[in-house]
Order: sequence, then C-alpha cells, then structure tokens
Amino acid sequence: MKIIAVIPAYNEGTRVGNVVSEVAKYVEKIIVVDDGSTDDTAQIAKKAGAIVLTHIENCGAGAATMTGIDAARMLGAEVVVTLDADEQHSSDDIPALLKPITDKKADMVFANRFGRRNNIPLIRRVFNGLGNIITFAATGKWVSDSQCGFKVFGPKAVSQVDLRMSGYEFCTEIVRESAQHRWRTAEIPAKVLYSEYTLAKGQSFANGVRTALKILLRSFLR
Amino acid sequence: MEFTAYQIITPLISFVAIAYAWNLVFKQKKTIWEALLWSVFWGFISVIAIYPNSLDYLTAITGIKDRENAVMVTSLGVLFFIVFYLVIRLENLEQRQTRMTRKLALKDIDKTKK
Repeated sequence: MKIIAVIPAYNEGTRVGNVVSEVAKYVEKIIVVDDGSTDDTAQIAKKAGAIVLTHIENCGAGAATMTGIDAARMLGAEVVVTLDADEQHSSDDIPALLKPITDKKADMVFANRFGRRNNIPLIRRVFNGLGNIITFAATGKWVSDSQCGFKVFGPKAVSQVDLRMSGYEFCTEIVRESAQHRWRTAEIPAKVLYSEYTLAKGQSFANGVRTALKILLRSFLR
Repeated sequence: MEFTAYQIITPLISFVAIAYAWNLVFKQKKTIWEALLWSVFWGFISVIAIYPNSLDYLTAITGIKDRENAVMVTSLGVLFFIVFYLVIRLENLEQRQTRMTRKLALKDIDKTKK
C-alpha cells in the first residue's frame, strides 16, 4: 500500500524538520502544506525531505489538510496519515494506527489521546470533551477524541473525503464524512506530548466558541 | 375545525422541505442525523401553524401579547435574518478565496510529479 503523510504547518519552523525526519521512517512520502507561514517552515520541511506545497495566504488547518490529501491522491496514495507539525504526536504510533487499515477492518482510524495514560492539562480535557459533544450534536456520531489531528484514511476514505471547512472545524467535518459515507472507523490510543510550546499554540476560548457556532450552523444548512 | 390558507400551505412547505432533506440523505449528500434535525425543525413549524394555540404558553413566558411587541419581535427576526444572510455571504467569499489558494498550491504538485 502506498502510504503518504500529510502535515499541515503554520509557522512551525522550529518543529517541522524533526517531525518530517521521524515520520519518514513509516511512510513512503511526506507532504507538508505550508499554510502561509511567515517563518522558514517551507525551507526547513523541504530540507528534511518533504514535498512542500505553499498556501500564499493562511487559510486554516482544514484547508491545508485538504490540499495535502488532494496532493496525496495526485501522487497515487492509497493510505493517508495526517498529523500535526508541532511534535505533539509520536510517529511511533503510526504502525498501530495503520493496522486496522492494512487488516481491512476500518476505512478510517482516529487516534485517541485519552485512551492511554497521557499527561493532559485539565483545561485541554474540558475543551476536547466539549468538542466531542458538539461533534456528536452535529453529526450524530460519537468519537472519543474527535479534535485530534492524528488520523489515518484508508483507500475508501482517501477517495471519498471532501473537506469544505477551512479552520479547526474540519475535525468535526471528518467525523461527519465518516458518518455520511458510512466508513468503518476505529480508535487507537496514542501518545501525546504537550509542551509549553504546544499549549501556547492552542485555540483561544473565543476561537473555540466561533468554531462551535460554525459547525452547528453549517450542519443545519447543508 | 376550519383551516386558513396559512394552515394548509405551511405544512405543505414543511412536507416538501422534509422530503427534500431525506432525498439528500438517499443521495448521500446529507447525514441521517442532519435530516432528523431538519425534520424536527419543520415539524415544529407545522405544529405551530396547525395548532397556533400551542404558542399560548410562549406568550405567557415572554409577554408578547399586543401588536407593538409583535412588531418589535418581527423586526428583530428580520434583522437576525439579514445578519444571517451576510454571514453566509462572507463564508462563501472566504471559501472562494480558500479554493483559489488551494488550487495555486496544488500547481506545485504537478511539477513534483514531472
């Protein structure tokens, strides 16, 4: 199976190089989508061996992920692994996430940061819980860690996924896509490494509320 | 029980809206959950149209009884709709810009393939 990793990145020059080097052990190609960064994210990712696509303007994590998936399809990917560029995910979890796909037991695999003992700040747990509830209200499908960027798309999901939401709402949209296309899904516990850097880059409360409203509005209007 | 034209037309519109939503489910463009939410919303509108007295408890809570209050609430509703329409238009513009940016980025992948 041709496995390609997609990493959306915005001003991750200090981290993206390490992520690319680590992920390269498990996948055939890596696509980094530089989402209008003002730092040297693109150059560092390229130097580390990734294919780099650049958004001339910052469009959001959802748009960057979809650009990466489109590019992976054009390169003939059968399986796509998406993960964040800030080193919060451990690339060593990739084989475990790939297993349900290679065993043909799932079309889409969600990493679950709450499925194992991880040092996650309480505020993060609360916000992720709210994200799960909103996702359930909008899609009718419960996913234990719906807002995690670490996912694996199997062949069916790679061919059918079509994300229209540009920002962080895309995580909920992926759950919606899995319900709409009736993909078989699996959840695999994964490690998460929160650092001061990662926590500082998280969403603000106001942004979270805006994201929630967008999700509910869109799900009603579709 | 005598029905007014409004009480006949509104449930018919609701029926069409609900049928349309479920048709989208069969075409795999809408999820079952979304169609359910849509059905509940339009079902509620129909119930209000057929049994207007069901809103009596609402007037008791809100105090919207006389004409002036009704005009105020309707105006708020119209303003809400205008804001809603503008939000949708802005969203569409934002999506168009995103599509253009994404297309430009994907041009680079053709070079990679060659």
